[in-house]
Amino acid sequence: MRWLAGAAVVALVGLLALGTWGLFPRPPVPSWEEATAAFGARNAVAAIVLGARLWDTLLEVLVYAMALVGVRMVLRPLSRVQPVPPVSETPLLTRAADILLGPIVVFAIYIASSGHLGPGGGFPAGAILGSGLLLLALAKGAERLAQELHEPSLERVEYGAIAALLALGGLILVLSWRGSWLLVGANVLIGLEVAIGAWVVLHHFASSRGEV
Amino acid sequence: MEGIAAAALGIALGGSGLWTLVRRRNVIWKLLGLNVAAGGAILFLVAVAHRPGARPAIEGLGSGPAADPLPQALVLTAIVIHFATLALALVYVIFLTEHRHTQDVHKLEREPEEP
Repeated sequence: MRWLAGAAVVALVGLLALGTWGLFPRPPVPSWEEATAAFGARNAVAAIVLGARLWDTLLEVLVYAMALVGVRMVLRPLSRVQPVPPVSETPLLTRAADILLGPIVVFAIYIASSGHLGPGGGFPAGAILGSGLLLLALAKGAERLAQELHEPSLERVEYGAIAALLALGGLILVLSWRGSWLLVGANVLIGLEVAIGAWVVLHHFASSRGEV
Repeated sequence: MEGIAAAALGIALGGSGLWTLVRRRNVIWKLLGLNVAAGGAILFLVAVAHRPGARPAIEGLGSGPAADPLPQALVLTAIVIHFATLALALVYVIFLTEHRHTQDVHKLEREPEEP
């Protein structure tokens, strides 16, 4: 058994070494402008994340979702029965949150839906939306915001976004569809997933320790 | 020059973070060190993508050589995974603190678990 494993390791390393030395024929690598345009994008990073390395991105989203499941599972039984009373509302913060929430949401949607053309993408959009939710949680109190957001339906949206993202990934990877709309859809879904994840982490941490 | 300086800073951050991760006995300090090391790794990847006088890897934005887009895509992955795993690790620290009432690694290893 030990000899077999050793032989397998030696064979694998040898194959890799031969491959790096150029024994196997390699297809010509197109310029990155051509490769980016083939995926219907102008931002090379978006073409890599949602095209050439899409397996990586899909599994990354799955890892993210699994980490969130872990956060929920461990922190739900630890939630305090009597949470610390929320910080008293300041008019400055509530009014600022009211004014800023709209622009933050619009900016996040813009970043997600134009991520294949310029700087941006699903992950920054999710982070922006999550920071908007953090601002709301600071202004209103996390528990009140959680009741308004309705956790079970939020969970359903999250899993629906993951399923839709896997379907889109199947279209791109298995059926090799190409087009800008696929990238826009994937970016919006990733943004939704990341924002909901950030909110789940924020809410569970806040409710297990009292308040934000 | 900026690329080399940023790469050196990234390596220094990673080294100090890993040193904190190994030497400190408090779990929260260990996670902080891991956090700093991850920041150093991210900075190192961005510095690797740097070329002198390069433009962003976006078509129709400036002229000249473009920055390498592949490390930037890797950084995108690294940041999100880092956030998720750090949240999970902190949750585990909360769990440990609730059940064992200590964050010291030596005590956690030596003292038997309370029934």
